[in-house]
Amino acid sequence: MAHSASLAVSAPGRVARRRWDGVRNALPGYLFLAPWLAGFVLFTLGPTLVSLYLSFTDFDLLRAPQWVGAANYQRMFSSDPKFWASVSVTLTYVVLSVPLKLAFALAVAMVLDRGIRGLSIYRAIFYLPSLLGGSVAVAILWKQVFGYEGLVNEFLWFAFGINGPSWISNPATSLYTLVLLSVWQFGSPMIIFLAGLRQIPRDLYEAASIDGATRRQQLTRITLPLLAPVIFFNLVLQTIEAFKAFTPAFIISGGTGGPVDSTLFYTLYLYQQGFAYFRMGYASALAWVLLLTIAAFTALTFFSQRFWVYYEDDQR
Amino acid sequence: MKTISADGRLAPEAIDRSWRALPKHIALALASLAMLYPLLWMLSSSFKPEDEIFSDLSLWPKAVTLASYVEGWYGLGINFGRFFLNSLIVSGLAVVGNLAACSLAAFAFARLEFPLRKFWFAAMLGTLMLPYHVTLIPQYVLFQKLGWLNTFWPLVVPKFMAVDAFFIFLMVQFFRGIPRELDEAAVIDGCGPWRIYWSIMLPLSKPVLAAAAIFSFIWTWDDFFGPLLYLTDVANYTVPLALRGFVDATSRSAWGPLFAMSVLSLVPVFAAFLMFQRHIIEGIAASGLKR
Repeated sequence: MAHSASLAVSAPGRVARRRWDGVRNALPGYLFLAPWLAGFVLFTLGPTLVSLYLSFTDFDLLRAPQWVGAANYQRMFSSDPKFWASVSVTLTYVVLSVPLKLAFALAVAMVLDRGIRGLSIYRAIFYLPSLLGGSVAVAILWKQVFGYEGLVNEFLWFAFGINGPSWISNPATSLYTLVLLSVWQFGSPMIIFLAGLRQIPRDLYEAASIDGATRRQQLTRITLPLLAPVIFFNLVLQTIEAFKAFTPAFIISGGTGGPVDSTLFYTLYLYQQGFAYFRMGYASALAWVLLLTIAAFTALTFFSQRFWVYYEDDQR
Repeated sequence: MKTISADGRLAPEAIDRSWRALPKHIALALASLAMLYPLLWMLSSSFKPEDEIFSDLSLWPKAVTLASYVEGWYGLGINFGRFFLNSLIVSGLAVVGNLAACSLAAFAFARLEFPLRKFWFAAMLGTLMLPYHVTLIPQYVLFQKLGWLNTFWPLVVPKFMAVDAFFIFLMVQFFRGIPRELDEAAVIDGCGPWRIYWSIMLPLSKPVLAAAAIFSFIWTWDDFFGPLLYLTDVANYTVPLALRGFVDATSRSAWGPLFAMSVLSLVPVFAAFLMFQRHIIEGIAASGLKR
């Protein structure tokens, strides 16, 4: 009886002490985490959920949101030609700029990787456009360079006597000037490729050349397979970046996405809907479609890994 | 940051010093020139008289004048000094906020044990993938309700709450590489978590803190979208926003002043690059960081 009584007393006491230890252990962690946690709830999780709700409403910032069900999404897909224009512009941009940029980055990285003098100088020069390229200043420069009286046309006149058009204000070419601007910034994936190439053991190449492998075979049998994880990483990163492109199109088209919607990037259209027309419900729906599209692309790329990405610790 | 050496140095014998490398150097030099030509041309044009910009492809001005700088500096009614000051305030606070808040969170993730740690870490990684457009409108509404429109707060306060998860990720990676024996010794000496964080981790983490500081500065300095949303009064404009206002305000032929101010806007970023090139390149190589 006494025995069982003491058990009955001690068990909750032990539990209480263990809980207290738990709290004491949890406390420093949560104190350190507090700023991030507050920011996460306030600026990320909360707004994400609210925007999901707003995407099912009509909301103009002045009156309270009106529930409209899936009307925003229906309108987007069935009766908004501008939405489709922006989708087509953005997909064209992604599909052209990402592979070109990565191809340049990889090619230059491979040239620089083979023990060349002055590597750090070349690397710095090729990287510089990546560092400066996202700025408004470079967008302004681009607007001039591809304008009617711009650098490109000056050069064409000087070299070939050709009177070039205004590449910026011609709907057939304007998007390609932006693709070029993106490809020009191949420096940052190049640096990642260089770091990746450095990881490949040199003796593999030596062994291969002793076995009589050609340069081309070395590329396709050693370099590319061993670099696949880095290519994959760059591909995911650059694709997400390309989907989010905004500043150059905004500056060059003066915020309109013109001429004739030829540079109406998806993000630009979203900005117009939300902050020029204050259709904030519709803009939220656009944002969610963007999120799902990026997620789908990323998932697809991850899934495709099994066919082309070889990780060294894989057992095959 | 540990496994990848991005410093670009190879063993001396691996470097091809022979003349065979010459064609490659010529090709690379030409490619470099082509890459940099637009930037160099903008720089030189900013010193040319207005009428020479359109007729001259060369990188060397025939006559050097500061007229474009003078005209551009006062081009928007308020002088550009104000915009530079605004940009400096916003970028400076962003750097401080990111360093403080992200290193605190990273220390918790890398070193402390607490319930739900893995869950929060996964949530943090999840925010890396989230396009900011999704949170845009509710955030705007929130800042409007707080009466923060047309102030710097919406651009700065989130940084003090570690919203740029990328830097947390970078720091966690680095902290994990610091030997745990150091913390354990400190615990035996009676140090609490704060002392370990402040006196051991931070001093040992200068490379990653430097990289985070430089990238926060450059990205905030270049940021266009945030200021475009939140700053409406010209007196509050940051440099990129002022440049954009300048584009809209100038006529077709006024490229000179526009170029002059564009060049000035790039100077801080370029200076940061020259001074901290190694940190920047290593930071990118380590994590593939690029916004």
